[in-house]
Amino acid sequence: MRHWIPAVGFAMVLVASPAQAQTAINVATAGDQNMVDYVKDYLAPMFEKTNPGVKVVAVGTGPGDAGSQKIFEKLDAQKKAGADKWDFDVVVIHQKMAGQMVGEGLLSAYKDKIATGSLVSRDTASNALGANVSGYVMPMFHSQTAIAYNPDLAKDVPNSYAELIAWVNKNPKKFGYNGIKGGMSGVAFVTGWVYAFGGDAGKLITGPYDAASKAAWDKALADLKEFNKNVVITPGNAGTLDMLNRGEIAMGPVWVDMFYTWLADGKLPPNMKLKLVAPGMPGQPMYYAIPAKAANGELAQKFVALATSPEVQGEGIVKKFNWYPGIDAKHLEGKLDPVVWKKLFADISPEELSSKGMPFPLAQYFNEILEAYERKVAN
Amino acid sequence: MRPRTPSAGLLLVTPALLMVAALFVYPFALSITSALTAADGFPSIANFSKAFELYSGDIVFSVLIVASSTALIALTAIAIAGALTLGETRWLVAALAALYRWPLFIPFIVAAQCMRTFLAKNGLLNNSIVSLGILDPAMTQSFLDWRGIVITFVWKQTPFVALLLAGAMASLDRATIEAARNMGAGRGRLLFEIVVPQVLPTLMVGLVLSIVTMLSVLSVPMMVAGSQPTMLTVDMAFRINAYGDYGVANALGVISYLITAGAAWLYLRHSLREGGRP
Repeated sequence: MRHWIPAVGFAMVLVASPAQAQTAINVATAGDQNMVDYVKDYLAPMFEKTNPGVKVVAVGTGPGDAGSQKIFEKLDAQKKAGADKWDFDVVVIHQKMAGQMVGEGLLSAYKDKIATGSLVSRDTASNALGANVSGYVMPMFHSQTAIAYNPDLAKDVPNSYAELIAWVNKNPKKFGYNGIKGGMSGVAFVTGWVYAFGGDAGKLITGPYDAASKAAWDKALADLKEFNKNVVITPGNAGTLDMLNRGEIAMGPVWVDMFYTWLADGKLPPNMKLKLVAPGMPGQPMYYAIPAKAANGELAQKFVALATSPEVQGEGIVKKFNWYPGIDAKHLEGKLDPVVWKKLFADISPEELSSKGMPFPLAQYFNEILEAYERKVAN
Repeated sequence: MRPRTPSAGLLLVTPALLMVAALFVYPFALSITSALTAADGFPSIANFSKAFELYSGDIVFSVLIVASSTALIALTAIAIAGALTLGETRWLVAALAALYRWPLFIPFIVAAQCMRTFLAKNGLLNNSIVSLGILDPAMTQSFLDWRGIVITFVWKQTPFVALLLAGAMASLDRATIEAARNMGAGRGRLLFEIVVPQVLPTLMVGLVLSIVTMLSVLSVPMMVAGSQPTMLTVDMAFRINAYGDYGVANALGVISYLITAGAAWLYLRHSLREGGRP
């Protein structure tokens, strides 16, 4: 009769130990593959080491706003189905969707509960395209667009959008961008164009929304249509870099982090340079957020605290992936090799970055700029 | 033997019917309803007017791309299947038979990725031509536009149609071919006047299926060509990803159905007139 006791005990150990080792936190990441790799290959092993028995499951939901849209749809569906525990513990999302998700109550306000919450200083931590997201998000990094050029092929590099028009007229088909359907670097270029020529850029960024602002875009977009006749429309963010690499175009808008990564991998000529043209081009953060009903909310907070610690921001975000840090750069002092720091700011100085690095416009203006482009430029 | 009761038959087809209803009829109806519903929830054709206003150029572009690709696929598939059936150089036929099917096993996205580097201005194709001394580097041009899409589609879909066609040709009565040959018909006449007319229904099936496939591919137009103009799939993805706008995306979807329905109707009309099986 007593034989069953050790048997049951053994069975209980069998059942219990995997359960303990299998506390999994699910991290869903929108964005390009490099962001999924960052979570999977860099953050996850580090977090698992300091939290034995926890496994980080990284899921990529696809690049661009599409990836954030998928995360939103999943959480929205679980909310509408009345689920107690939602499947994602940490989500990495774009600005546009962050505002909507906060508005619909899909996220939890966790920023002030974690120690690194106070290290954030940029306004994008509280304002996402006009939506107040204060407390709900931590910037993972900031990314910036700029014009990449090959100094061997491009002489007298333009300093502003206006000079760029003159340059393109002199050098037809030597400037390329990916339109608005092939990735965000083209979207950023078009947004910068509207900031430059479409009236009051400040109003588009800080609001309040006023439908009358759109009237000022007509002339700007008509000029852009004219401008497009002398440029190459490339297939995607990577398409622009590919064409720069093969010398098919001399200049084109790119994401700064992609540019440096490609450069480091030898996929671009080593003498290529960046220029942030006046009045400015947009950039954006990616956010860490925690869903309102995350199954492992506490672990999720620990995960984000680790990911936004000065050490990880310096080593992972700046050094390994060439992004600008999500927390205030002053907290990285002494944590980062000065050579790495210098490299990141070689072509675009911190002053230029703060004066010409602009956010994207209010979500409503943003959509309207895209649709106006479809209607007046691409059509 | 007991005669089969109708209820037993019904029971047998029910799972299949349910599958079709759940996985095809329901989503299909849903997409049509969504296309015909305005943002405020009322029935409207606003989504269609917007689709035509913004994307009429892309609709025409998609039709032209698919039509020209289909024509080229038909020609190359006939050439390959014809060579396999009528070819007399045995090793050449064997080599062709071994080679032509390869693209079938390569996904569209991989094909698109390869074409991106193959067809670029300084890509593999142009570099090879330049190194052979045929062209000067300054004279080369990029094929990464509508031509790139057509080339990729033709490369990818030809083997599929050729496979169907070669099968149909192989099962033809050889006597008709031999008879024509004895009467002195050349290989071209043999192919186009004797063989192809007999396998026309198979060719049409292959082409209609190819049209449906080509209209549904997102990766190729996205990766091979710039986005102005572009194909309807890219616009649908953009409507959803940039604006979360399923209404106009579904309207574009319905327009795609109508295009494929047009192709299917042409095929049915043709085969019914011929009096053959559709």
